[in-house]
Amino acid sequence: MSVLRLIASFSVLASVLVLGATAAAQPAGPEPPAVKLTPPKLLSEPRVDYPAGARGDARVVLTLVVDRTGAVTAAIASDVNEPFSSAASAAALEFLFEPALRDGVPVAAKIRMELVFREPPPPSVDPQDDEAEQPPEPEPEPEPAGPIEVVVRGERAEPSRSASLSRAEVRQIPGTFGDPFRAIEALPGVTPIVSGLPFFFIRGAPPGNVGYFLDGVRVPLLFHVGIGPSVVHPGLIERVDLYPGGYPARYGRFAGGIVAGETTEPTSRFKGEYNLRLFDAGAMVEVPFADGRGTALVGGRYSYTAFLLSLVSPGTLLEYWDYQARVTYDLTREDRVGVFAFGSYDFLGQVTETSTLTLFGTEFHRVDLRYDRRLHGKGNLRTALTIGLDKSSVQQDRSVVSRLLGGRTELTQRLDEQVSMRAGTDIQFDTYSVELGTNDLSPEATRASALFPSRTDMAFGVRGDVVVTIDDRLEVTPGVRADLYASDGASAVGVDPRVAGRLTVSERVAVLSTFGVAHQPPAFVVPVPGFQPGGLRGGLQRALQQSLGLELDLGDDTLLTTTVFQNAFFNMTDPLGASEPELDGCAPGTFPAESLAGDYVVSRDNPPDCAARFEPGTLGPDRSGGGGQAASSRGGRRAVDLFEVRTLGSAYGLEVFLKRKLTRKFGGFVSYTLSRSTRSYQRRQYVAAFDRTHVLNVAAAYDLGRNWRAGGRVMFYTGLPTPPNPFEPDKTRLPPFFRADARLEKRWQLSDTAWISAIAEWMNATLNKEPVQTECTLAGCEAETIGPVTIPSIGLEGGF
Amino acid sequence: MTPLCSRLIASVVVLTCLACGAQDPPKAPPCERECQDAVALRALREMAKLVYNLKLQGQPVGPQDATTPCPLGGQARVFGEAYSNALQGSTEVQLSYVFETCRYLSRDDEPGENYDMTLDGTLSQVGTLAVQPTASTALVMASESMSFAGSVYDPPLAFNELECAVSLGQSGNSLAGFICDREAGLEL
Repeated sequence: MSVLRLIASFSVLASVLVLGATAAAQPAGPEPPAVKLTPPKLLSEPRVDYPAGARGDARVVLTLVVDRTGAVTAAIASDVNEPFSSAASAAALEFLFEPALRDGVPVAAKIRMELVFREPPPPSVDPQDDEAEQPPEPEPEPEPAGPIEVVVRGERAEPSRSASLSRAEVRQIPGTFGDPFRAIEALPGVTPIVSGLPFFFIRGAPPGNVGYFLDGVRVPLLFHVGIGPSVVHPGLIERVDLYPGGYPARYGRFAGGIVAGETTEPTSRFKGEYNLRLFDAGAMVEVPFADGRGTALVGGRYSYTAFLLSLVSPGTLLEYWDYQARVTYDLTREDRVGVFAFGSYDFLGQVTETSTLTLFGTEFHRVDLRYDRRLHGKGNLRTALTIGLDKSSVQQDRSVVSRLLGGRTELTQRLDEQVSMRAGTDIQFDTYSVELGTNDLSPEATRASALFPSRTDMAFGVRGDVVVTIDDRLEVTPGVRADLYASDGASAVGVDPRVAGRLTVSERVAVLSTFGVAHQPPAFVVPVPGFQPGGLRGGLQRALQQSLGLELDLGDDTLLTTTVFQNAFFNMTDPLGASEPELDGCAPGTFPAESLAGDYVVSRDNPPDCAARFEPGTLGPDRSGGGGQAASSRGGRRAVDLFEVRTLGSAYGLEVFLKRKLTRKFGGFVSYTLSRSTRSYQRRQYVAAFDRTHVLNVAAAYDLGRNWRAGGRVMFYTGLPTPPNPFEPDKTRLPPFFRADARLEKRWQLSDTAWISAIAEWMNATLNKEPVQTECTLAGCEAETIGPVTIPSIGLEGGF
Repeated sequence: MTPLCSRLIASVVVLTCLACGAQDPPKAPPCERECQDAVALRALREMAKLVYNLKLQGQPVGPQDATTPCPLGGQARVFGEAYSNALQGSTEVQLSYVFETCRYLSRDDEPGENYDMTLDGTLSQVGTLAVQPTASTALVMASESMSFAGSVYDPPLAFNELECAVSLGQSGNSLAGFICDREAGLEL
C-alpha cells in the first residue's frame, strides 16, 4: 500500500516541564530565583507515515521526554487510537531536538506534542499548509480536560487575516454563547453598531459590505431573527477567520471585510455534540461508514421560543431552526466526493383568532456538491456545484424568493519549493421573484419596486494568486480577480488586484502588509436572504484597502499584532453610516421646517431638517393638522432614499491584538481599535454615523481547577457622533458605553471522549444601557438610551 | 422612532413599503349626518387656518386686522390680538374671522377630507396655536351664526345650513363640538 506522508501539522499543546525546574509550578510562596528556561526545539522533520490500513483523520497527543542530547527517550500517547497511537509513538522516538536549556545548560525536558494525521488531505488547503511546522513551545501546565482544541494546521497565517479563533477558544469568550461567528465582534477592526447586535462595521465598511462564508459558500443570513444565535451549529465550525481588508483573491464581491468559517474535517470516529439552553436545543452527530471511507454528519438546532412566548405573549409567534448535513466518500485515496447542505428558518408572526399573520419570515437553503481531487501530493482541485433557495416574507404575503445555481472550481498547486499557485473560477445565477402587489402606486412602493425587481442576476469570476517564498524570510502573494456582474439589463466589470507580503524579521517578529482593491454590487443594509438590490443602479462599489502590521510572537502561546490600516471607499451604499448625525426632534429654538402650516414638504436637494424658530415678536404659523403637530419621523421616510445615496468614505486607524490562547490555564486577549471613519456626500464631509474612536475588548479565561473554568470580558467603546446642540456646542459624542460579560463552566469528563458541561453565561451582566442618540425637548438635549440589552443563559453542553 | 432604530430596521421599512397598499381602493363607506357635520367642521377650521396663514403668520405681534380674498371667491377678514411665545414655540390668539361668501375647495384621497364650501358668518377664536412640535394647540372657537353652502365628502353630498350656531374646541389635532346643535368631531 502506498504510504502517504501527511503530517500536515504538529503542535505542542501543553506543557514543557523542565526536569528539576518544578519550582516554577509551585503555588504562591517566596519567589524562586529567576531561571531562564529555553524549551526544546525540533531539529528533524516531524513526519510520520500514515499507518497502513488506517482510514480518516486522527490526532494523537504524545508526551515526549527529550534528554540532554536532544534525543527522545520516551513517547507515550495519552489516548489509545490505533494504529495512529503506535505510529506516532514510533515515529516520535526518531525525532531530534535541540535540548532544553536552563540558564544555558542542557537539561532533560518533558513536553507534550500533538500529531495530526490527515488522509486524504483537506480540500482547498492552502499551499502553506504544508509549510514547516512551528517549533514546540514550552507550556506551564497540561491542558485541562475537555475537547481537544483544534489546532491550525501548521499554517502560516495569511497577512490579510487579522485574527483567527478556534471553536475551543470561542467557547471561552464570555458573551458569545459559544457561537464562533458572534465572537467576531471582539476582534480588532470591528466596530459594533449596538451592543449585542451581531452586525458590524469592519474598518469603516458597513455591515452590508461584509461577506460571510462557510467552506467557501456564501451564507446569506448569519444569525437567527437578526440578533439570535448563528444559523450553523457551533460544533460544526472548526475556526473563524477575519479578513478585514486586502484579502486573498479567492474572496471577492464584497468591498468591506470577509468573515470565513471553516467546518471541521470529516472524522473517522463516531462523535457528536449537543446543547440545551433556555431557548433552544441543538445537536450534531457524525458517523463513519464503509470502513471509514465515508462519513455522514447531521446537525441542527430547534428553538422552542414559540412555546415560551405563548406563555407570556400569546399574540406573538417566534420560531427558528436550522440544519446541517454533510456526507463525504473517498472514491480513491486521491478522490473524494461530498455534499454539504445547510439551511435556516425564522418566523415572526402575529397570532389572531382566525390565523397567524406574517410579520417577518425568512429562510434559506444551500446544497453544495463537491468533488475533491488531490494532485499527486502537490495540490488540490475542487469542483463544486451549489444550489440554493432564499425566501423572505413580510406582511400581506409580500415576499422575495431567490433561487441560486452556481458552480466553481478551486485549484491549489505547489509549483516548486518556493512557489504555490491558487486559482479558481465561479459562476452564479440568482433568479429573484419579487411579489409586491401591483396596485400600490405610492412613491415608496414604486421606489422599492425599482430597487428590488424580479430578474435574474449573474456573476462570473476568475481569480488567481501565487504565493512566492523568497529566502524563507519573505513571502509575497500577488493576485488578481475579475468579476463580471449582470443584473436587470445592466452589467459591470470589477478588476481587483491584490498583493500581500510577510517579511520574517526574526524568529519571533514578522512584518505584514496588504493592499487590495475590492468591488461589490449595491448592497442591502444587512444580510437578508433575497434582498439584493437589482439593476446595478449607481454602479459598483469600490474599496481600496491597505494595511501594515507587525506580528510579535511573545512565546507561551502569546501573540501580539499591531496593524495600521487605511481604507478608501468609492460609490458606496451605506444607509446606516451615510446619514449625518441628527437630533431626535428639533433642538430648542428650531422647529421642523419640513412642515409648513401643516403641509408636508420634502426636498432632497435642500434637506430642511430643523429651521430657526419664527422671529421673536412675530406670529408663528397655524400648523393644525396635516402632520404639523408632531412631524418628526424623518428617518423612516428617508430610509428608501438612503439606498440610492452613494457616498465616498474613508477609514484609517490602528489595531492592537494581544492574545494568549484562551484554552490555556490562563488565557485571554486584548483587542483595541483606534480609528476614524468619515463619509462625503454632496461635497460635505462628516464623521460616519457609526464611527467609534476607541473600541476595546478585554477577555480572560481561567481554569479554577477541578474542571471549573471561569471567564470575564469587558467591552468598551466610544459613543456615536452627535450633532451639535445649542446647550452643549462642544459636545460631539454621545457618552461611551461599556459592558461586562461573565461565564462559568463546570465540566465532567465521563470517559476518554465523552464529556458534559453546565454553563452559565451572561452578556451585559452589568445591565448597562447604551446611548444611541441625542433627544431634544424644550428642556434641553440629552442622550437617549436603549436597553439594557442583556442576555443571561444557562445551559448544558456535551459531546462524545 | 429614533433615526438609529429606523436605520437599523431600514430593511423592515423597505419591506413595509413593499407590503403597503397593493389592494384595490376600498369603496367609500356611506357618510351620514354626523360624518357630514364633521367634514363641514373641517372646512370651517381649515378656512380659518388658511386665512390666518395668509395674512397673520410672520406679522408683528399685537393688534391684527387684515382682509384677504378667498381662493374661489368672496373674502375673509381677521382681526383681534395675537402674541407669540418664541421660547415655547406658540402663539396666543384672540381673533375673529369674518367670512363673506368665502369659498374654498379641498380634494384628497381620503373621502372625509373633500369639500367645496362657501361660508358666511363670524367665528371667534381664542387660545394657543402650536408652532413647533413641542407645543400643543389649544383653542376655543364659536360662532352664533354661520352659514354653510356647498358639498362635503367624496362622492359629494350637498351640505347647506343657514345661520347655524357653532361651538368648537381644539386640543392638538382633535376637533370636537357642536354644529347646529349637533355633536360632531374629527381628527385634523
